[in-house]
Amino acid sequence: MSKSTRTNISRWVALTAAGGLLALTGCGIDDPSESGEGGTGDGATGTGGGEDPIQIGISLPLTGDFSEPGKGVQRGYEAWAAYVNENGGLLGRDVELTILDDQSNADRVASDYEKLINQDGVDLVFGPFSTRLVVPSAQVAMDYGFLFVEPAGAAEEVFTQGFTNLFYAAPAVAQDHYDYLADHIEAMPESERPKTAAYAAMDDPFAQGTAYGLKARLEAIGVETVVDEVYPPNTTDFSSIAAKIEASDADIIVGGTQYQDAVNLIIALQQLGYQPDLAAFSTAPTNPEFAAAIGDKTEGILSPTGYTPESSYPTNAEFVEYFAEEYGTEPTEDEANAWTTGQVVAAAVEGVGCADPSPECQGQLIDWLRTNEVDTVVGPLTWDAEGRPQGAHLIQQYVDGEITIVLPDDAKEAEFIYPKPEW
Amino acid sequence: MDLLVQSLILGLLLGGLYALLAAGLTLYFGVMRVVMIAHSAFLILAAYLAWWFSSSTGLDPLLSLVFTVPAFFVLGVLVQRVLIARLKPATLTMMSVLLTFAIALTIEGLLGFVFSGTQRRIQLPYSGASLEVFGARIAVVKLIAFALAAVALAVLYVVLKATRFGQSLRATIQNSEAAALVGIDTKKVAGYGFGVGLATAAVGGTALSLDATIYPSLHWHWIGPLMAIIVVGGLGSVPGAAAAAMVLGVSQSLLQIPMGTTWAQTIFYIVLFATLVFRPHGFFGGRLAQRF
Repeated sequence: MSKSTRTNISRWVALTAAGGLLALTGCGIDDPSESGEGGTGDGATGTGGGEDPIQIGISLPLTGDFSEPGKGVQRGYEAWAAYVNENGGLLGRDVELTILDDQSNADRVASDYEKLINQDGVDLVFGPFSTRLVVPSAQVAMDYGFLFVEPAGAAEEVFTQGFTNLFYAAPAVAQDHYDYLADHIEAMPESERPKTAAYAAMDDPFAQGTAYGLKARLEAIGVETVVDEVYPPNTTDFSSIAAKIEASDADIIVGGTQYQDAVNLIIALQQLGYQPDLAAFSTAPTNPEFAAAIGDKTEGILSPTGYTPESSYPTNAEFVEYFAEEYGTEPTEDEANAWTTGQVVAAAVEGVGCADPSPECQGQLIDWLRTNEVDTVVGPLTWDAEGRPQGAHLIQQYVDGEITIVLPDDAKEAEFIYPKPEW
Repeated sequence: MDLLVQSLILGLLLGGLYALLAAGLTLYFGVMRVVMIAHSAFLILAAYLAWWFSSSTGLDPLLSLVFTVPAFFVLGVLVQRVLIARLKPATLTMMSVLLTFAIALTIEGLLGFVFSGTQRRIQLPYSGASLEVFGARIAVVKLIAFALAAVALAVLYVVLKATRFGQSLRATIQNSEAAALVGIDTKKVAGYGFGVGLATAAVGGTALSLDATIYPSLHWHWIGPLMAIIVVGGLGSVPGAAAAAMVLGVSQSLLQIPMGTTWAQTIFYIVLFATLVFRPHGFFGGRLAQRF
């Protein structure tokens, strides 16, 4: 084969390699998910009051990138509507949901809410899933003076757009997930506190936000940061990051993680014989697959969680029971946050006594939420002026092989273990 | 100092794994100018089979090699004879990209369908175990993966160098027309060559599964770096790919100390770029590739 042909082919292969990279960013790191059915969701059935039903407009990513969580939110909304209708409705009226499919597309979600408010004349709107879709749809809602309560969209950019109508229906924004843990460490006598900390976070606003929220709090009380690694979402080999952490011999390790990164990092750390006093990772440890992946070495691992079916907040037991009856499984965080959205809007509607699209009514609903606390399945919620919830996530820890709430004290199922046993 | 030694060892282990994973890729190209995008998808398929075998029988995932290696060899021969052999020689390289891209998507889709998108990991009693050498720690699973790579590459080398099949395969790589003239059935050899390539994917995927969390779309993360390795190593050269894999694996691991993970990953593409500019036939290949 001549040299020039070989050269050409080399270029081709290189192009392909670059193409592989592109495909990687294009296809994302998400797992493939079945496509869902679009169109209008069914209104909830039941025996509410007389009058016309209250129309609630929603657009959700039922297909595309966010279809898995989008369908979770849909289940939560529909379960909430059915539950409300079975229990006398809202202001004595049935609620009826109109759910459109925005295909995970940010342009589409804006026109969906435009259509719901303008053409369908809905009385209330609920938010879609995730930051990318919440921002454009909250803008539309604000243009029409509508209250906008949303179940997912925890990244800081949601709260810095100047929305005056937005409320995030979850316990905390990403930065505050570890607040209870930070409080606990602050309360320790100085001699027992960790001295050094290692942080490893995925380059992702949410995952990184959780780790850096704790980092800021710990640095403020003098815990020295000895490793601060940020890795791209496509990282699969964590042995070098683990080697850095092991070499630093940090007292505690905090991971701003999703799933596979946490699992791979933990095993890489175990392989190097690193034994921290505290190991906290976001998201992964609450995944049922986590214990199967790590085996019997999970003891003492911590994770913040926005929702657990076991939590003892009033109304949660009812929710879990009702949901399990309808769907045959316990609700997850997506479903709980959707249900919470329903509870928040319902509290405002009951508090003010109106549910119609007029600017006066919507304005009153917004004002009501600014000044009142709402009891929900994820705990009592209040918000700041930009719509950030003022709570923190529960802290769970593996105790005797089970993931258990250990902080805060008034919600705990077991004692917080520090230092953690060796893994 | 400890960190340096530790990173060097981790880099060597990583390089060994890269070498094994890339070996098949360079072979397909050498034998018939096929750019095999689906190679990493077959790696993940083998990893899934190892996981499935291990979780349903409780036996060590390495035993799954007894089934997957012959199965992948047969599958490789079939893929070559049934699909790739039908491509027109004039546009083979380009069309093989499309064809194998489709195969990769099909495998990814089927894995998601059969095993769901849940991320899996084989739970091994020795997954966190390690040996201490010169103050550095070597994870047992990484050592096993490295040993698998060494054995598989050594077997591949001996097969290519010392057997009659290897001679005909190398003749086909170097000049398939001349090989046909001296009586080699190049079609059959090409099929077997492809089978050998996929058999290395079975070994590579199993090695990968020992110390990785797997999910159906994971193969997209691998194909880019593996393609970079075989270009840098000189297309079609197995020793070249192995040398490039070692150099890139060690550089990535060492660069991670000062530069962090994000920038250390770019070493693959910087070296790829440099290769295309200065030595388009590859840094380790070239004449070596002609010989092999």
